[in-house]
Amino acid sequence: MLRFACLLLYSSAAIAQTSQGDVAVTIYNNNQALVQDVRQVALPVGHSRQEFPDVSASIRPETVTLSGDGFGIVEQNFDYDLLSPAALMQKAVGQTVTLLRTNTATGVETRERAKVLAVNGGAVLEIGNRIEVLRDDGLPVRVIFDSIPPNLRARPTLSVTVESTRAGARPLTLSYLTPNIGWKSDYVALFDENAGKIDVQGWITLSNSTGTTFNNARALLVAGNVGNVQQYENIYRGRGTRPRGNQMGTETGTRERVGDFYVYPIEGRTTIANAQTKQVSFLDVSGSPARKGYEFKNGWLATTDEGESASSILKFSNARARGLGEALPAGTVRVYMRDSRGQAQFIGESAIPHTPGGSQLALKTGEAFDVKVQPVLVKREEVTQQVWRSYESWRVTVRNGQETESYTVGGYTVPDTFYRTQMRYIVTNAKPVPVTVDVIQTGLSRYWWWRDVRVGDESIPGIQDGWDERRWDVPVPANGKTELTVTFITPW
Amino acid sequence: MIRALLLLLTLAATPAAAEVISSAPDKVAVTIYRDPQRSVGEEMDLGSLGSFALIAETRTIVLPPGVVTIRFEGVAGGIIPQSAILFGGDIREKNRDAALLSQKGLVDAFTGQRILLRRIDPATGQSAVESATIRSGVSGIVIQSPRGVEAVYCSGLNQTLLYPDVPRTLSAKPVLSMQTRDQPGGRAAITLAYLASNFDWDATYIGTLSPDAKSLNLFAWLTMASGDETSFPDATAAAVAGKVNRNERTRDGEALNVRVEAARFSPRWNCWPQGTTSDAYAPPPPPAAMMMDVDYMSAGAEIVVTGRRRQTTNEAAMPVAVVTATSEALGDLKLYRIPVPVTVAAQSQKQVAFLQKSRIKGRLVYRSTAYRNSVEEPAMLFRFKNSKRNGAGDALPAGKVAMFQPLNGERMLVGEGDMADKTVDEEVDVIFGQSANVTIETDEHNPDGEDWEEIKLTVRNANPEPVNYEVEFRDDPDYRISKSNAKLIQRPGKRVWAAKVPANGEATLVYRTADIEIATEYEDENAAR
Repeated sequence: MLRFACLLLYSSAAIAQTSQGDVAVTIYNNNQALVQDVRQVALPVGHSRQEFPDVSASIRPETVTLSGDGFGIVEQNFDYDLLSPAALMQKAVGQTVTLLRTNTATGVETRERAKVLAVNGGAVLEIGNRIEVLRDDGLPVRVIFDSIPPNLRARPTLSVTVESTRAGARPLTLSYLTPNIGWKSDYVALFDENAGKIDVQGWITLSNSTGTTFNNARALLVAGNVGNVQQYENIYRGRGTRPRGNQMGTETGTRERVGDFYVYPIEGRTTIANAQTKQVSFLDVSGSPARKGYEFKNGWLATTDEGESASSILKFSNARARGLGEALPAGTVRVYMRDSRGQAQFIGESAIPHTPGGSQLALKTGEAFDVKVQPVLVKREEVTQQVWRSYESWRVTVRNGQETESYTVGGYTVPDTFYRTQMRYIVTNAKPVPVTVDVIQTGLSRYWWWRDVRVGDESIPGIQDGWDERRWDVPVPANGKTELTVTFITPW
Repeated sequence: MIRALLLLLTLAATPAAAEVISSAPDKVAVTIYRDPQRSVGEEMDLGSLGSFALIAETRTIVLPPGVVTIRFEGVAGGIIPQSAILFGGDIREKNRDAALLSQKGLVDAFTGQRILLRRIDPATGQSAVESATIRSGVSGIVIQSPRGVEAVYCSGLNQTLLYPDVPRTLSAKPVLSMQTRDQPGGRAAITLAYLASNFDWDATYIGTLSPDAKSLNLFAWLTMASGDETSFPDATAAAVAGKVNRNERTRDGEALNVRVEAARFSPRWNCWPQGTTSDAYAPPPPPAAMMMDVDYMSAGAEIVVTGRRRQTTNEAAMPVAVVTATSEALGDLKLYRIPVPVTVAAQSQKQVAFLQKSRIKGRLVYRSTAYRNSVEEPAMLFRFKNSKRNGAGDALPAGKVAMFQPLNGERMLVGEGDMADKTVDEEVDVIFGQSANVTIETDEHNPDGEDWEEIKLTVRNANPEPVNYEVEFRDDPDYRISKSNAKLIQRPGKRVWAAKVPANGEATLVYRTADIEIATEYEDENAAR
């Protein structure tokens, strides 16, 4: 009895117990980690099979390497035939099991030995000289198997057969990659509009769903998508969906680097529990300059019958000279502002990609209730090639002035007819302060061939942002309205 | 015997390290955001609210000196853990543990460990226990005892597993905890703020037209809904109007998903086939939590319908609100705050007035929109400029509108519609219904044109008073109105024919449409100015 209790007691405490040794985990952004696990293992001389329990349940077995002194590897096995009732019965085909029936009226137990003939649908049993389907009568029957088949396991298990030249305990370093553990960043940005300042806290958010707890581990986080590019779902691919004003910087951060990637160590040792999300602070900066902007992007020929809200854009820089001075790993920025009672209120969030130091950031936080733009197609008419040629002097070049392709250089046929499109953008501001709205017209280039934009007339000088987009910084007075009119000549 | 054994085991559980439990907030502020994905006319789905709230909790904690783990209890069930921020504390790390105390959690935690197997004798009702070890809980449970190896839940007997204690790694709900840096200890007031899913709010307008339809009384309800399991008593409640940008990744690790996942386990799945040989493997039954969801959704939908019916037909008089939410600008959004503390109860909806305007000056218009030769049946709308001078002049968040008009001293419902976000000084068209008395007819008047089409539009008014009628042609890159027998007014983005249709009379418009591709009249124009 005492022994049983002790055994139980031991087992209860053993929940936190693990076969892991000294564990170091290097975690990448792309839902993947490199685990190094140094275990003390006693090897006999010659062939022996070593099992490594408590490796990540999501281990990529082909990435396993085992190193240490005085042995060579014969073979590595990864057994993932899992122990379940159905698998147990399948493996018992051709073997004999014990059936324990309980008489439902008297409670008397009877035992029989039965041979499992087949498991195709129901289990077909041979009991003495009769054939029976297990539990076909719906009555309870306990099936007791003599043992667990050797290859069935509760968890996928790694085993390595080694050939050792000497006997004795020694440290073995097991290293492997595992998916289902990754990290991203979460930023808290508290924006003070009146002061034009922003306080930024950065948190590393680490989540482990490998099915395994890594105990007392040294953890290192690497910012960047190391290898495995295809697995990574690139949420930033649609570059056009980010607001204007994002520019990657060239400053080197203060962090340690591995190759091109920044490294964020977690101080001390930490336990990364299964199903845990852990956040560790890595950035806390206050009073960095920031400002708000508005942007409205209009598709080609888009026209609306009422004003639509412009996007609210928060603009700041992570340049050293402006306070932040740190590379920002990919993640989510949540922006807060204080309300009239001083309580921080959420005003929107935005994803950022890996952002090197010295970058300009422009994040869309939401849509402005009080700042609206109504794009209006005023007039659209067909014109001849001659009319189009007469607009030669309004030909638009991109900002750096280089014209790489146009109708004369490219050797493409110039169409006979062109279209003159007159647009009006009505920008309204119901705020008690003046604002500037960046109105952007897209669709000014086609495919790879048409790079000749002609803007015949514009009420505010525009800036060409690449071939496809033209931008006007439209100042709007407090509680006022500004109208921008533009004429485009295009072959479509 | 069992009790003695289990007691012994409980005593063996090691006490937690320096941990402080903050069981409930002293004060809470709940700010609800409107679902940016939900269109104006769409109802809130009370069974699964698509938006979120910012919850700010003021808590008092007493800390011992050193590194302390603070465990937060009483947070919203839908907490989005990575959004949690703490004001007033120096935090080294935040943890959200989602290993939940469920059958799956217990089986996982005790795999490889000793448990007790209890069996009830079907004849005598006597229970018997034996010791066994869980060998696997991956799909179905396999145990090993001195008798041999068994699949516990496949025998058809009344058997169950008894566990000696609750593993410390498992908790009833996802647990948010924060670890401080080394600190001197003492009493501290902190604010924990986080986003939580399963909230939403809506604006609902009740308009009452004057008998002459020249002015409108407008009353607006702020309807807040919480689908969360936690109630927030005496909270400062607010709602934010306008569209906030959201990032899909915030949905990662939502507490609700974790709990649905934890419930997705039944030890009776993956038994060997029972009964006849023709039985296939039984597909797993849907998880219990999901089934509950479905029931709740249908129940929720019913509640919505009843609520609305009462609002639109049974209310004899315009409500008079003594508490009205106050409005303020929050950056580029609008914040409506209920000025008195209220209880944001679990799974409930609450209505507070946020706008009361009387005698907004405007006019009733019957409006059709047209595209080429097709003209829509006229809609009734009340048009006003949202300015102080007209008796309005406050921001109007998007919402549904129910329009009433008195008839012989009784309020009658004249229609329902919806309205987009409208700010100060914008022109607002409150569309509330189709007209039965103002009708249109179109006729392809003269089909002989080579490059144009001529249409005759007749508007008939069966009302005993004259009405304002408008037809709108939205500016279109593909066609234009090349000719009309009446003047069309150019408004931004559209050309409009506005007519006063006499009482019991009619009015006509004859217009021509032409494709833009075939327009030639500008060709000779000298464009180089």
